[in-house]
Formats: sequence, structure tokens, C-alpha cells
Amino acid sequence: MAADLTMKVLVVDDMATMRRIVKNILKQLGFSQVEEAENGAEALQKLRAGTYGLVVSDWNMPVMTGIDMLRAIRSDEKLKAIPVLMVTAEAQQGNLIEAIQAGVSNYIVKPFTAETMQEKLGKIFK
Amino acid sequence: METEAKGRLDILYGEIGALARFVENAMRAVSEVGRPLMESSAQIPTVASHLTDLVRMTEDGVMEVMRLTELIQDSRAAVMGECRAVVESLRESRHVTLVGRVERVIADLNEDERRLTEIMTALSFQDLVAQRVKKLVVILEDVREKLVKLVVEFGIQHNENGGTTEGKTKEILRQLEQSENSAMKQHAADEILTRFGFQ
Repeated sequence: MAADLTMKVLVVDDMATMRRIVKNILKQLGFSQVEEAENGAEALQKLRAGTYGLVVSDWNMPVMTGIDMLRAIRSDEKLKAIPVLMVTAEAQQGNLIEAIQAGVSNYIVKPFTAETMQEKLGKIFK
Repeated sequence: METEAKGRLDILYGEIGALARFVENAMRAVSEVGRPLMESSAQIPTVASHLTDLVRMTEDGVMEVMRLTELIQDSRAAVMGECRAVVESLRESRHVTLVGRVERVIADLNEDERRLTEIMTALSFQDLVAQRVKKLVVILEDVREKLVKLVVEFGIQHNENGGTTEGKTKEILRQLEQSENSAMKQHAADEILTRFGFQ
């Protein structure tokens, strides 16, 4: 994986358990700066205030969903180049196609393994 | 002629009377059903509350397992660091056999590290269960709302298709059924991603 491991990563999920799991895996993969947000709106605030190299986001969240956040990121000049990896239980083909059309960088279906996360990050940062 | 018309009117009055008695009996029957319906619907918030508690309890349990797993991961990282330092010292003093043994310890620690990460990812079941439970709570609230409306209106609403579940409940039940029967696995998602040019 050719990713810059010092980049800031934002993990977006309304469930604290999932945020912790994703953070743990990212830490195992060598990422040292991992921050959290509970929904898309909070994530956008953080993204606009800082410099992030990657967003790992859930789909179903209160306040602002992952897909709405993805669309907001892609339509924001400052943020649109940030890779967004969706990690979600939304396992219908329609959801995946909607995410692709919105500009997702890659897509992981829950439940997933650390190997899957590593593989997808490898593809994003190849 | 008049007698014939009066006879028909008597029959009509008789039938209207029978219909009125039927309607009255039906109203009484519905009102008798109303009380148990209200009692049952009053239980639904308790059921929803128990389900929400289940989410909280599983989250608390999973968080504790994660906390302990992370402590083990941290202490193992420290042990690995020490082992690597020992290997370097042993190499310098040419203790080849000991170097080999400590390296095997490091390999075992690495393998366990992989298993600990698997434990962490396996705990994502809590998120999936919580999402299902939240959908069930929404269904219960919707059912309760409909039951109360039924009792208040003293009539049963039928939809034209003969179905009994509508709106939010139907949609969520459909989602639950779909996710049960046709949920896409990662390999299926990967096939679609490839079709869209993701390498």
C-alpha cells in the first residue's frame, strides 16, 4: 500500500463500536492520525476545518447520511479530491450503484475483514 | 295497489331494522375488541424500550471486549519491541540458537496479532444487530400508531390490494426481507465495482 501513513483519516459512523473497529484496523495498517465523526454533517465540518487524506464512512447515519455527505464532498472544490471509502451494511446493488454514481472511491460490505480493508485501501492508493 | 306498496315498505323497514341491529352488534363487538387492543398496544413502548436496551447492553459488552483486546494489542506491541531488541543483542554476541528461538516467539506474536484483529472485526456484529433492532423498533411504533387509530375509529381499514401492512412498516419489512434474502456479499460488490471500472 503506497498511502502516506501520516495522513489524517476521518472515520464516520454513528455507532461507536464500528468507529473503534475501523480505527483499530487503520492503526494496525500503520495509520497514525485517525479522527472520528458521528454523522455526515459533523464530518463535513471537520473536513472543511482540516486537511484529511481519506474518509471511511458508513451509509446509514442520523442528521446526514453517508451518501449525502459523499455528494457534498464531491461538489466541494476544496474537498472533492479526498478518497471516500464506504463501509456499510447497505448491501443492495442499487445502493452500490448509487454510491458509484456519487463518486465513491471504493465500497466495503459489512461484515468485513481487516484484509478486505487493506485490499481496498491498496486499490485507492495504488 | 296500496296494500302491495305497504307490504313492500314493511319488508324494507324490516330489512333496515335487521341491518341496524347488525351494525349495532358489530359496533359493540368492535368496542369489546378495542380494550384488549389498547392494552396490547400499550405494551409496545415497553417492548421497544427492551429492544433499545438490548442495543445498549450489547454495545457496552462489545466496548469492554474491545477495550481489553486493545490493551492486549498494546502490551504485545511492547513485548514485540523488546523481543526485537533481544534479537539484535543476541546477533551481536553471535548466539545463533537463541536468535532463532526469539524469532520464533516474534512469529507467534505476529500470528496472534492477526487473530486479535479478527476478534475486533468480528465484533462488528453488534452494529449489524443494532441496525436490525432499530428497524424493528420503528415497525413496533408504527404498528402501535395504527392499532390506536383502529380503536379510536372503531373500524378496520382495508387497502385495495387486500394487504394489511402499509407505509413505513411495509417498507421496512421489505428492507429486512431483502437484506435477509438478497444481501450482496463483498465478492458480488467487487464484481459490480469491476464492471464500473474499479480495478
